[in-house]
Amino acid sequence: MSAGAIEIKDLRVDYGDFVAVNDISLSVPYGEVFGLVGPNGAGKTSTFRVLATLMEPTYGEVSLAGIDILENTERAREVIGYMPDLAPVPSDLKLWEFLDFHADTHRLGNRKERRARVDECLDIVNLTEKENAWCKALSRGQTQRLVLAKTLMHRPSVMILDEPASGLDPLSRREMRHALQKLAKGGATVLVSSHILTELAEMCSSLCVMNEGNLLASGTAEEVRAKLGKKERSLRATFLAENEAVLRCLRMDSRISEIRADGPDVTFHFVGNDEEQVGFLRTLASGGFGLKAFEEEGSSFEDILVQVAEENRKP
Amino acid sequence: MSEELQREKMVPFWKIWANPIVRRYARSRLRPVSLGGVLLVFVLIAAFIFFSIRQGAMGQGKLELMDAARLPIVPLLVLQGLILFMLGTGQVAGAMTAEADEGVLEYQRLAPMTPLTKVVGYLFGLPIREWVIFAATMPFSIFSMWQGKVPLGVFLEIYSVFIVAGVLYHLTGLLAGTVMKNRRWAFLGSMGLVFMLYTVLPQVAKFGLVYFKYFTILPVVEESFAYFVPRSGQMVIQTMQELVPTARFFGLNFPQVVFTLISQGILILAMSTMLWRRWRRNESHLLGKVGAVGLFAWVQLVILGNALPLIETGQLFPSREFGRRFGRFAGVDPANWQPEAWEIFMMIGIFGVVTLAMIWMMSFLIIPNEEGQVRGWRRVRKKGGSRLSILSDPATATPWVFLMVAIGSVGWFTFAKAIVGSRWFPEFQLSSMALLAIVMVLFTGGILVQTILETKGRKFTILAIILGGVLPLMLGMIAALTKDELLPAGVWLIGISPMSWAMYASQVVVPIDDMPADVIRGIPLAFWFWQGVAVLLSLWMLNLLRRTRKEIAEKTK
Repeated sequence: MSAGAIEIKDLRVDYGDFVAVNDISLSVPYGEVFGLVGPNGAGKTSTFRVLATLMEPTYGEVSLAGIDILENTERAREVIGYMPDLAPVPSDLKLWEFLDFHADTHRLGNRKERRARVDECLDIVNLTEKENAWCKALSRGQTQRLVLAKTLMHRPSVMILDEPASGLDPLSRREMRHALQKLAKGGATVLVSSHILTELAEMCSSLCVMNEGNLLASGTAEEVRAKLGKKERSLRATFLAENEAVLRCLRMDSRISEIRADGPDVTFHFVGNDEEQVGFLRTLASGGFGLKAFEEEGSSFEDILVQVAEENRKP
Repeated sequence: MSEELQREKMVPFWKIWANPIVRRYARSRLRPVSLGGVLLVFVLIAAFIFFSIRQGAMGQGKLELMDAARLPIVPLLVLQGLILFMLGTGQVAGAMTAEADEGVLEYQRLAPMTPLTKVVGYLFGLPIREWVIFAATMPFSIFSMWQGKVPLGVFLEIYSVFIVAGVLYHLTGLLAGTVMKNRRWAFLGSMGLVFMLYTVLPQVAKFGLVYFKYFTILPVVEESFAYFVPRSGQMVIQTMQELVPTARFFGLNFPQVVFTLISQGILILAMSTMLWRRWRRNESHLLGKVGAVGLFAWVQLVILGNALPLIETGQLFPSREFGRRFGRFAGVDPANWQPEAWEIFMMIGIFGVVTLAMIWMMSFLIIPNEEGQVRGWRRVRKKGGSRLSILSDPATATPWVFLMVAIGSVGWFTFAKAIVGSRWFPEFQLSSMALLAIVMVLFTGGILVQTILETKGRKFTILAIILGGVLPLMLGMIAALTKDELLPAGVWLIGISPMSWAMYASQVVVPIDDMPADVIRGIPLAFWFWQGVAVLLSLWMLNLLRRTRKEIAEKTK
């Protein structure tokens, strides 16, 4: 249980008869930005809350940076940085006071040393000029950035960020993405959930998909797409010119469906594995149809999630 | 992260000044602008009390400096009580609920501090402004006591109890704020409790229920009251002190301050344990099984220890205070006062009611809900076990209720025996069925509520209490009061309610004839009949509970 930065073994969370997380096991290596994806009610938040030591699971073993969080909760809290969804801030503190309080709870030195770290974190999230403002006076996006600064304060080795980009404008979102990737390069492990899935795919070095408390797939974005994406591939072929013979040929192949022609571009669905696809491509290229280009349109993460959610709704 | 920051050692819980939560509230609640105004108001009030009373007593009252200086001490204590007990407690309860409401409490949950350090942080951090205002009024008290030549020991006794009582009430507020979801109710509830302690309970103490006084600073103030009035008034005070009932624990001659500190200390320990459990694990019961039974046994012991010495002196009986207060109007000579027979019925019954209520209260704390049981079973099965630990939260509360029934029976029987065996009632004796009646009431009352709670949940239990407890009581009372012919029916209807069982048992334990004939005849019959029904119902509920728990255990396989 101590190989990866995040090690989950047989984790289960029940709310009465409802199984929120169903015996999942997962290993996230050090220095990864790892995404957790799934529709509402998939069990993401329950998993996050267990990892953040805010909730005790029904059973299971969880270790973060080699520390068993159930056996050694206080020690584990020193290495965890948790940012909840729609993170709140206290209304009676100024920005620097809020951060200093968290530096104090993590025992980050004397007043001067803490202040230096507060300034450093405010700088990372571009809130230096607001240090004396009241927390309650911040916009949603600024609040998110402030809570991110709080999360970074004690240089956690495992960061658990629930929807960190919500409320951020595109520029801040990009900055956050870069900041997280930079942290990961520095050795931190970042576990992140987001409803903006394309962004998650760009941000994460690997991810996992959850549904109804079960872990459906995990790995790199391509691996997950391959495992959960539709078996029917969407292919696009571009010819030198509009070509009726190609369409006739395609219609005769039983593996092909949903043929759509738009001038020289033809899109269609193909059922088959990689080898069959290579063979089909060879036939098309050698058939004298004037094939100029060929590409596969993979399932997007949105497609995958929509597919998972739809399967969820089926009786 | 690869780069680890240098960390200091974890703050121990007793280092209050270094506690980050205390420092956080010191920062937010002691801002010069907001604190300055409030501080000025209270210092002005304290100064006004001090100077107006002292100067008035010296000028108009022609008292010497030493006597005049003593007079502001009690009014200043009242002001300080208002600041620390009322405002402080309300602040703690309200702010705690607000933190949970806003969601920032979770950040503190995640702080790498021990649960006890967090409890201490909130306990002294949230009311820090009230402590500072209290401290700002202290120079007036110190000066009054110094000029009034009040011994240092008395000063230390008063203020040590004052501070411990403040901590106790703040803990109550903290617990209310942690458990209650509604900010307003937590605020009002905890302030209401303090208000009741200082207004209602001192009156109740005069009628026999002395123990609750020890949750206040009153016993210590009463003991030292002679130092807070001019020397000319000391004779009156000494007479007054002799009339005020005190509770010497099992007749032992503790100083009041020691017994007050022990009583409040035990409660502080119990509440700190509850909060510690909640901070350690949010899903925990407020008390563990052993803790709940231990607290129950302690309360039994102190009530008994305080009540028994008051029997021989007669201070336990309400008619003594009635006679003293209203004797001359009712034609009773206080010097020839003698407790009346109905007081046996009343006091033995009240002891039973309090004991049963305590069993119910403790049951509420330790009963597992279905969700807790399911989680507990799954956890046990995962580890390859086949039974829940009897001490764990998901385990049934039944054995522990049995234990409380046994402890409560011993206490209640001892109390009944002491009353009947006292010099006041040589003509009465305990019935041969006394012990059986006592055990049955506590067994059926305790087990029924516990098993209903554990099998059906809280909402159903509340409904059952209304329909099976409150409604028959109301209907029976209406019937009994309507006309004499309906009195027997009223007695039988009231007997359905578990709330009446302890009072009915009292008439069975020591039969008295100081009641209408229909009541004397009806109570024992109704008592034994309904107890028979209750025993059968309890056994049926125990069986139902066993089956329900088995089903829950089975479905987790």
